[in-house]
Amino acid sequence: MAANRRIKRMASSQPGFLNLKSTSDSAGLASTRRKRLNKNKKKNWNKHIDINDVDEFLEDIRHQERTTGGLLSEKSDDTLFFLDVGPPKKAEPKAPPLEVKMRKGKPVRPLRIDLILQRDSLVPVPKDVLSYQQPNAKKLRRIAQKAEHLAHKGVVPRRQKKLLNMRPVEKTESKAVTEANNNPERDFYDIWAQETKSTADPWYLQQTGKTRVKRPEKLNEKPSVLPAVEVIAPGGSYNPDFFSHQALLQDAHEVEVKKQKAEDKLERQLAVNKDHLATEETIFREQVEGLVEEENVDEEDAGAEEEEDGVMFGAISQAIKKTEKDRRRERAEKLKEQRREADKVKTFKQQQLFQLRSIKTSIKQDEADTKVKQIQRKANQEAQKSQPRRLGKLKFQAQDLEVQLSDELAGSLRQLKPEGSVLKDRFKSMQKRNLIEPRERAKFKRRLKVKYTEKRAFREIT
Amino acid sequence: MGGTQKKKYERGSVTNYITRNKARKKLSLSLPDFRRLCILKGIYPHEPKHKKKVNKGSTAPRTFYLLKDIRFLLHEPIVGKFREYKVFVRKLKKAYGKTEYTNAQRLKENKPTYKLDHIVKERYPSFIDALRDIDDALCMCFLFSTFARTGKCHVQTIQLCRRLTVEWMNYVIASRSLKKVFISIKGIYYQAEVVGQLITWLVPYQFAHDHPTDVDYRVMATFTELYTTLLGFVNFRLYNSLNLLYPPKLDAKAESELKEADDDDYAMNSESYLEKLSALSTSLAKVVSTTEEEEAQLDQFPVEDEDLEKMEAREREQKEQEAQKKLFEGHKFFLNREVPREPLAFLIRCFGGEVSWDKSVSIGSTYEVTDETITHQVADRPNVDKQYINRYYIQPQWVFDCVNAKIVLPVEDYFLGVTLPPHLSPFVEEKDGDYVPPEKLKIMALQRGEKPAQEEEEEDEEEEEEDEDDDDEEEEEEEEEEEEENNLKNLEKQRSQGKSLSVKVTAGKMKVENPARLEQEEKAEEKRLAIMMMKKKEKYLYDKIMFGKKRKVREANKLTAKRKAHDDAEKSKKKKKANK
Repeated sequence: MAANRRIKRMASSQPGFLNLKSTSDSAGLASTRRKRLNKNKKKNWNKHIDINDVDEFLEDIRHQERTTGGLLSEKSDDTLFFLDVGPPKKAEPKAPPLEVKMRKGKPVRPLRIDLILQRDSLVPVPKDVLSYQQPNAKKLRRIAQKAEHLAHKGVVPRRQKKLLNMRPVEKTESKAVTEANNNPERDFYDIWAQETKSTADPWYLQQTGKTRVKRPEKLNEKPSVLPAVEVIAPGGSYNPDFFSHQALLQDAHEVEVKKQKAEDKLERQLAVNKDHLATEETIFREQVEGLVEEENVDEEDAGAEEEEDGVMFGAISQAIKKTEKDRRRERAEKLKEQRREADKVKTFKQQQLFQLRSIKTSIKQDEADTKVKQIQRKANQEAQKSQPRRLGKLKFQAQDLEVQLSDELAGSLRQLKPEGSVLKDRFKSMQKRNLIEPRERAKFKRRLKVKYTEKRAFREIT
Repeated sequence: MGGTQKKKYERGSVTNYITRNKARKKLSLSLPDFRRLCILKGIYPHEPKHKKKVNKGSTAPRTFYLLKDIRFLLHEPIVGKFREYKVFVRKLKKAYGKTEYTNAQRLKENKPTYKLDHIVKERYPSFIDALRDIDDALCMCFLFSTFARTGKCHVQTIQLCRRLTVEWMNYVIASRSLKKVFISIKGIYYQAEVVGQLITWLVPYQFAHDHPTDVDYRVMATFTELYTTLLGFVNFRLYNSLNLLYPPKLDAKAESELKEADDDDYAMNSESYLEKLSALSTSLAKVVSTTEEEEAQLDQFPVEDEDLEKMEAREREQKEQEAQKKLFEGHKFFLNREVPREPLAFLIRCFGGEVSWDKSVSIGSTYEVTDETITHQVADRPNVDKQYINRYYIQPQWVFDCVNAKIVLPVEDYFLGVTLPPHLSPFVEEKDGDYVPPEKLKIMALQRGEKPAQEEEEEDEEEEEEDEDDDDEEEEEEEEEEEEENNLKNLEKQRSQGKSLSVKVTAGKMKVENPARLEQEEKAEEKRLAIMMMKKKEKYLYDKIMFGKKRKVREANKLTAKRKAHDDAEKSKKKKKANK
């Protein structure tokens, strides 16, 4: 733009420049007296400097540009003038009929208002600068060029490097936190794969919690030798063989009989002895107790007294004083007794010499007995391993045998009615294998007493 | 005697034990948490030998733990998580109490969770250890996967259990490792051999739950929590060992086939994949898809003569196993809708058969009833309306019995409406001399390759003969003695009757020497001599053992006789009925 303007000024200053308007004001300008004023203020510049001539000049240029599309002085003569050789003769007769025709069909003529609004300037519309402008374009271009250059070299910028370093750590952490243990879509991996052995100090690793404490070997022993899944007896088939079914029924029957026996025993022990029951007679006697004095009571008392007397005779005995002679005799007797005992022992020992054979056999017998006992004990211990232990308050109680009576057996798989519950079977199996202690369900205990009151409204009705 | 008096209960076995309550306090956990921790870590209560000593003179029943175990528990990081969880619950309660719902929401999002991976690794240091303990895990997972989603336990747990069990079944199918199956009144027992370990598990019948009240669900859920983790890792390892993708993907070919069927009818999109997997009707995708299976040839080693027999026996066994694995190969099954689909599909696929069912029964059916190539249709109703000529209509028990017998049994006994032969337990192993039901004898005969006789009675007789033969082997010596005695007696009788012995000369016969017989006789002679040379004590023991054996045989014979009487009675009854 600026360059363009400069050219225009240059053009106007040239001597061959034509002004469209006559410059009548120039004389007037010269006549006015020059004012004295301060030029150090912008306000004054605007106020007192006469720029009419420049304005006019510029207006003139704009007018030229608008109407002709450029400065007249720069145009070539051909574009400005043409040679007038009189009106064209041939064209005239042709044109009018055409026009007539057009008028007849009422040709589409633009509205006047549109014509007014139409652009009549020949200056091309300036480009919208803003849409092309980019802030810091130069700088950005330079940066881009540099980055390209670096990328070509293979250098990663620092910021990107930082991001790359940060990424993986964040991801793993967030995943570990969110996933629940029983998530059905959880993924598994090869947990028993070969691990790379770390070279770090094991003590350091353990103390900093990087390795876990080793599990004692002893913990891997199972508390029972029983198998995890005990298969039901062949009689438990849905369509069993006759005899195996009978055997199973027999087993179940025995269990039931045992239970019944225990129950019966308890009942027997708890039963009231009929002799202890109060009869009419005893009740009556109790009521009259002490009211009626009976004679036979005295007799009984008398009898009792007699008995007591007899006892008394035995109890009270006079201690008779021993004489010196008695004591001497006693001493001698004691000595004699001792000697006799000693003799007896001596002879017995002498006799044993001749009994060596029998003694040997007896020792052998003892040893054999202990051996048998040892074996027995060992066998018992082995048997104990498969027995449920007493681990808590309650003893293990085996579940009822699952059994179907002969008439309950289904003929086909479709009609089969399952017996027992697998859940309970599993639970009991765990108890049997000493994995968990037998336990009773905690009973709900009310801590505070409940007080029942009748609502007032309700009371009023009744 | 100087020194301070020793206090009681400060040394000896008391110091090795700790009561449950004290242990709980030492870990500062609540009782349920303590119980959970013990289950997860595999620390079980211990019964001391001298309770009174350990209990400081009291005889009150208490639960004891070994002190060292509890000390080991102190190192467990999960203890901290339990405490965190306790605090979390307290905070949540408080937030709800104050009606600060946004706060509660935030807390819920940051719910503390824990992992059991390290515990699994610690308790089962090697893969085989884990496999040995997988029985329990399988039982629990199968059990929990059949639970209704009613709030007895977390729905997520049920879903996880279902997923894991389906994966397990698919593995068993892919590896063809199932050995035995037994339909009991409780549930279905399966046994498979995985990596040389025999694994038994029990699958409950579907829809058969009445929740027992005396079972502690919390304890069971804790066990399941551990076992799901364990089973997951085991599954992963097993899938890897077979070069299968984990998590399992359906075979690409099969998947495209299944896609044609309308998925929307059965399940939501999120669930339909698991459903398709659990249909068990298609094979799984492999990591590297190989067109042909590599037949692993056993390496041949030069062996000594003694080992040769063993080697041969082993090879024979292996061949048998291979044959068993291909039991149903080439058979095409169709399951009617009244038949339990899952166990049957599982079994048939385990032995290489093809299986399908009606489209409306479940997702994943591969062909229709009208398919002409179907060889067996499994039905469980007296008769089927429209029957095709070129297929057998059998009852479901046939499939189970075939698996147990390891051969394809004749189908005649299992036709529709026929009274089924008893379903015998494959888990019973009879020693010689035990009573063996005739049905089993029949199957054993079939396994040996003998053709079943036409009439049942003949069969029975044969069986008895066989039975007797077995007995004979044991009683051979005695019988020989008896024979000799009989001969002598006969001679004596003849003499006493005063008849002259019939003296006759007949043409000589070539004495045919049977080397096997001779050898046997020699052996028997040796045995008899050995018996004669026995010391008195040993002889006594030997007699006792022989007596026991004989008694067993006698009992077995009695039972067979009884059985025969029973059968005869049944038969006569039937005949009478028929006559009427």
